[in-house]
Amino acid sequence: MDNKKYFHALQILEDNCTGCTACVRVCPTEAIRVRDRKAHIDPNRCVDCGECIFACQFHAIIPRSDPLDLIHNFKYKVAIISTSYFGQFTEDISYEVAKQALYELGFDDVQEEAMVTEFMVKVIQNYIRANRDKRPIISSNCPTVVRLIQLKYPSLLPNLFHLEAPMSILTRYLREKIQEEKGLKEDDIGIFLIVPCAAHVTAVHQPEGAYKHLQDGAFSIGMIYGKVREHIKNLQNNPPQIATYPKGLTWALSGVQAELVDCEDIRALSVNGVENVMEILSRVEDHYLDQYDYIVMRSCTNGCVGGCFNVENPFVAMSRIKKMIKEGENGEVDIHELEELYDEGEFDVAPLTPRPIMELDTDIKAAIRKMKQLNEILTSLPGLNCSACGSPSCYALAEDIVLGKATIEDCVVLLKRHSKEDEQDPQQK
Amino acid sequence: MRDFAAARSEMAEYWHIRLGLEDPVKKFFSQAPEADVTLEADIPEKDFNSAGRGSAEVKNLLKRLGVDPEVLRRVAVAAYEAEINVAAHSLGGSMTSNIHPELIHMVFQDNGPGIADIEQAMIPGFSTADEMVRELGFGAGLGLPNIQKNADALHISSEKGDSTCLEIIIYFKNDGQ
Repeated sequence: MDNKKYFHALQILEDNCTGCTACVRVCPTEAIRVRDRKAHIDPNRCVDCGECIFACQFHAIIPRSDPLDLIHNFKYKVAIISTSYFGQFTEDISYEVAKQALYELGFDDVQEEAMVTEFMVKVIQNYIRANRDKRPIISSNCPTVVRLIQLKYPSLLPNLFHLEAPMSILTRYLREKIQEEKGLKEDDIGIFLIVPCAAHVTAVHQPEGAYKHLQDGAFSIGMIYGKVREHIKNLQNNPPQIATYPKGLTWALSGVQAELVDCEDIRALSVNGVENVMEILSRVEDHYLDQYDYIVMRSCTNGCVGGCFNVENPFVAMSRIKKMIKEGENGEVDIHELEELYDEGEFDVAPLTPRPIMELDTDIKAAIRKMKQLNEILTSLPGLNCSACGSPSCYALAEDIVLGKATIEDCVVLLKRHSKEDEQDPQQK
Repeated sequence: MRDFAAARSEMAEYWHIRLGLEDPVKKFFSQAPEADVTLEADIPEKDFNSAGRGSAEVKNLLKRLGVDPEVLRRVAVAAYEAEINVAAHSLGGSMTSNIHPELIHMVFQDNGPGIADIEQAMIPGFSTADEMVRELGFGAGLGLPNIQKNADALHISSEKGDSTCLEIIIYFKNDGQ
């Protein structure tokens, strides 16, 4: 196993952590343990889903993103906005105003993920038709889903849609275009994403399968929200005339996105929420969902509108975006240049490698031995899954003991039982 | 130990062994070695909510043993199909998964009513599933053929009016070693 350190856009503030184990219990990859009354995240297991952030009542786990000042390191500053951004504002604030406000933050160019949605749908449909032997194709847009598959469902890696996500496609396209048009060097251009979740920050700093230089940083929607609101106040008196792409806003909503790909010869399914995603991945593993050609999977509720950096409730944000899709009219997008780059292979990604986390040992005989030990330990544990030991369940504690990361004394329930027995029968000691 | 000759005449039997694996499979059945780890799961009749739990458990176990992802997927399909079969067609039963260093041996034992014609049951598309089962999206008649496709060895013994026992062997490495 390689010992590569994985970057994560999550941070534990030890001063705030009470060791309550709320995060331990919600983590889908069992990456968190409380030891010495503080939570610790195993970087090899974390998939940046953000469940622990939502679960922590003490603001001890916070998502990280880059400081906005970073843009001043570049001559030409470009922002690419995730579609979920437009669901964050009350309905008296127009799409145009919300977009224009980003220029006021200091960007020279502001582009939308929504621009390439139409192009993406075409490419996805072509990809599905060209890869009928792999069923179903799983969308690779959500970085958490991609990492979840690498860690827990490696047999499904060939099913992942093997092309960059829309914001990265846009990055490749813009970097080339701006160099040409403005006569700038590659390093003069700073391209930044404005993202709805920690997983996208991680993906910017540690992309999976990327062949080329992608983005230079990622900013949280929540972090820029306050500043954006200031500018919006001023802009509302002078509404700007700029192009918007409401028809492409589907990308933030897993259900609506699936409907776009669904057509006569392609059956699409949409899944959101990390628990649901894991259940569906497990069923795909059983070949139980082979009747679907494409599955849109997003780890957050309703899709990217459910990301931890958003300020609005995911259902309200979804409703607003749906309204924009219905009422708006798209600006012109020249797909031609994108198609040329696509044909040149500019958006290809390297095949992803498994990152198995569940193995007890790399040698199967040793793993079986450890499994036997694990089962023995498990029979002596109380089976309450109380997490008081700091591991998510009795099974996880047994596993930790076998792997030398904990001892049976960590079980609080057993400790209490033993001390009671000692009290009743002090001679036996 | 299994005595092949002693199988009663009314007991129908079906064997399928992947080409080249006859020797290790026969050796395994004749020696009947003790399993290193065993998992047990109940399969209640027509309970499609819990059917699949046993195979999910097996999958998780094999992931912990670091079994190759492609092999794991074959085990998952075979185990799930077999589990659904017991839930859909029988009066309920149990699933026992025996892990050995080089293979997994899964035994599905049900409480009847037996398969009338095993050869017929192996034909893709043939199904005796009732309306309720079909409405749930099961019973397309692909279960047994699918199990056979994914298994290295498949053995079914059944008696009409009595129980069915289905055994699956899948090796962790292609050469059966």
